[in-house]
Amino acid sequence: MTTIVRTQGLVKRYDRTLAVAGVDLEIEEGEIFGLVGPNGAGKTTTLRILATLLEPTAGEAEVGGWSLARNPNDVRRVLGFMPDVFGVYDDMRVWEYLDFFGRCYGLSAPARKRIIGDLLELVDLADKRDTYVQSLSRGMQQRLCLAHALVHDPKVLLLDEPASGLDPRARVELRELLRELRTLGKTILISSHILPELEELCTSVAIVDRGRVLASGRIADIEKRLRVGAVLRARVIAEGEALEAARVWFSEQAEVASAAILPDGLVELGFRGDEIQTAALLRDAISSGLSIASFSRAASDLEELFLQVTGQDETIAQEAVA
Amino acid sequence: MIARTLARRPRLSMPGITAIMVKELRGRMRGRRAFISVTIYTLIVAGFAWMVGRILEESARQNFGFSPQYQSASIGRGIFVAIMFLQTLMISVLAPASTAGTISGERERQTLDLLAVTPISSVAIVVGKLFSALTWVFILILASVPVSALVFVYGGVAPDDLLRGYLMLFVTAIAFGALGIFFSALIRRSGAATGLTFVSVIVATVGLTFIWVFLRIGQANNLNANTLAEQRPPEALLFLNPFVGQADVACGAEGGTGSWCSIIADITGTSQVFAQPVGGGALIAPAAIAGGGAQECFSDGTTTTCKGGAGIPVPAPVVGNDVVVNDVLAGPESLRDRFWPRSALTLLLISLGFTAASVQLVTPTRRWRPSLPGFLRRLRLRKSV
Repeated sequence: MTTIVRTQGLVKRYDRTLAVAGVDLEIEEGEIFGLVGPNGAGKTTTLRILATLLEPTAGEAEVGGWSLARNPNDVRRVLGFMPDVFGVYDDMRVWEYLDFFGRCYGLSAPARKRIIGDLLELVDLADKRDTYVQSLSRGMQQRLCLAHALVHDPKVLLLDEPASGLDPRARVELRELLRELRTLGKTILISSHILPELEELCTSVAIVDRGRVLASGRIADIEKRLRVGAVLRARVIAEGEALEAARVWFSEQAEVASAAILPDGLVELGFRGDEIQTAALLRDAISSGLSIASFSRAASDLEELFLQVTGQDETIAQEAVA
Repeated sequence: MIARTLARRPRLSMPGITAIMVKELRGRMRGRRAFISVTIYTLIVAGFAWMVGRILEESARQNFGFSPQYQSASIGRGIFVAIMFLQTLMISVLAPASTAGTISGERERQTLDLLAVTPISSVAIVVGKLFSALTWVFILILASVPVSALVFVYGGVAPDDLLRGYLMLFVTAIAFGALGIFFSALIRRSGAATGLTFVSVIVATVGLTFIWVFLRIGQANNLNANTLAEQRPPEALLFLNPFVGQADVACGAEGGTGSWCSIIADITGTSQVFAQPVGGGALIAPAAIAGGGAQECFSDGTTTTCKGGAGIPVPAPVVGNDVVVNDVLAGPESLRDRFWPRSALTLLLISLGFTAASVQLVTPTRRWRPSLPGFLRRLRLRKSV
């Protein structure tokens, strides 16, 4: 395995805001790498820097062994980019659209003909060959845009929020398509603000917020570290050492990733199990003598997790200022 | 590594330009659109030429004392000038209109990013778009050639006059097209880009000409001005006005002397020998005619007008204060092409400048960023809908 995308201390500053504040990424060849974060986390900016559309204020990046700063044209040849919002040209047929981008990459006429046929098969638009691009549905346009990014057989694909605006069926199709691309040996860097969307697909993820990478690596590892999964809150009627004993008991149970005592006396558990296992956990807790007044599953979406994590960040920042 | 670098980096300017042009022209020439626009354009030119011809013929019928050859040549010249002026007007509108939405349109449709991540250069994007837009305009101009060539039936216009006129038309299209591309690259919204382009075209033509006229009035009354140059505002003010260039082409068709030539003479300040009061007010003798033919010259005190077909007017030697214009004495040929080649060159240089600036503006990771005045910045930064 070799590293195909590498960034070091990537910084992008707009007039007053810091969109990307030192992003370090290392992506191995053949991975489907997810970039997760809330809106405004710097995902799009990072991808646009990698796509040579933005110049970083500081830091370096390499794609396919080429430096973005020194060999942008070589980088462009090894990557395909699908922006989050993209338009289509009016007045163009599907095959003309792909033919145009094929010409942009300097492909010969026979090569273009062959590739357009293959790509339209791949993205399941073969019967739309002569349709005007603007009359395609949103999902079809998305697939066409993906096909355009594949015209030059790039090693790396950058997909910015590819599933946004798609209905569930189109999402499933897109996921299948991305899996297929992975078997073709592509490295895919994909951004999303919806974690479950990436969970099933990605081999590794980086969680970013406010321009920084908060965690990166394999999903299972990150989940453990960031207590992703269900968050359970139990009110145990106990104080002091008894409460600590209850926490220790919980932390030793299966599927419990973490257990902590909140300031208001609740025990908060990071829990990876499903609902049946939740019920089992409660049963075991009661049968082992804990007095439980309430037991509930807290909302555990990514946004909440980020609120927690960024909250910590702010305290750290304030301490640093003080 | 170096070998790999060299092998992997072919310049993609030409294929890039081809790609953009094929794409753009496919869109522009699809269906009946191109056919209809060429037809309408040609019909307008032909209809206008026919009407001007009728008017001139009618007025010629009421003119006595001129030979039929002279009358015919004068009508032919009139039609030629009318066709060139009409086309200059139409091209001044069509060329910027066809380019002013190209790059801002890509931004509005959010397709510029898709282009920018391909290896084609910004030069290819700008030049490809400019050429494809101009191709359309050039086709319109070329379609009018057969109509314009009909003036040869009347005479009075030589083929090289037609060539000069068309050269000036092409240059006009290039210059105003490049201006449109520049605003299209500068401003995000097509509407605003188109508006600003037209304002600039009007400033370049009407505005600067008005300033020239204003300065001319002021300097004509300047009795301290001893030399001709001091009496004339800089003619460069009129270089951006293709109508003045066409007037010079018309002057060429007149054989160096005539009503169009007197305008050009007033601008360039070269043929004062004919009748201008100079400096202290010495009135210059009316031109003497050598080589005869069907020529008549008369002077109204400010301008001398000679009309003639094949005859070569030779001005009389000048006994003014300080005006001895040798190249005028050298013959009428020197009166040709006084203005338009310099105007055309200026327009071409300016187009080059605008194209280069557009390339800078299109490059996504450009190092040089213009600091725009406030109102332009707002136009630029406003999110496209």
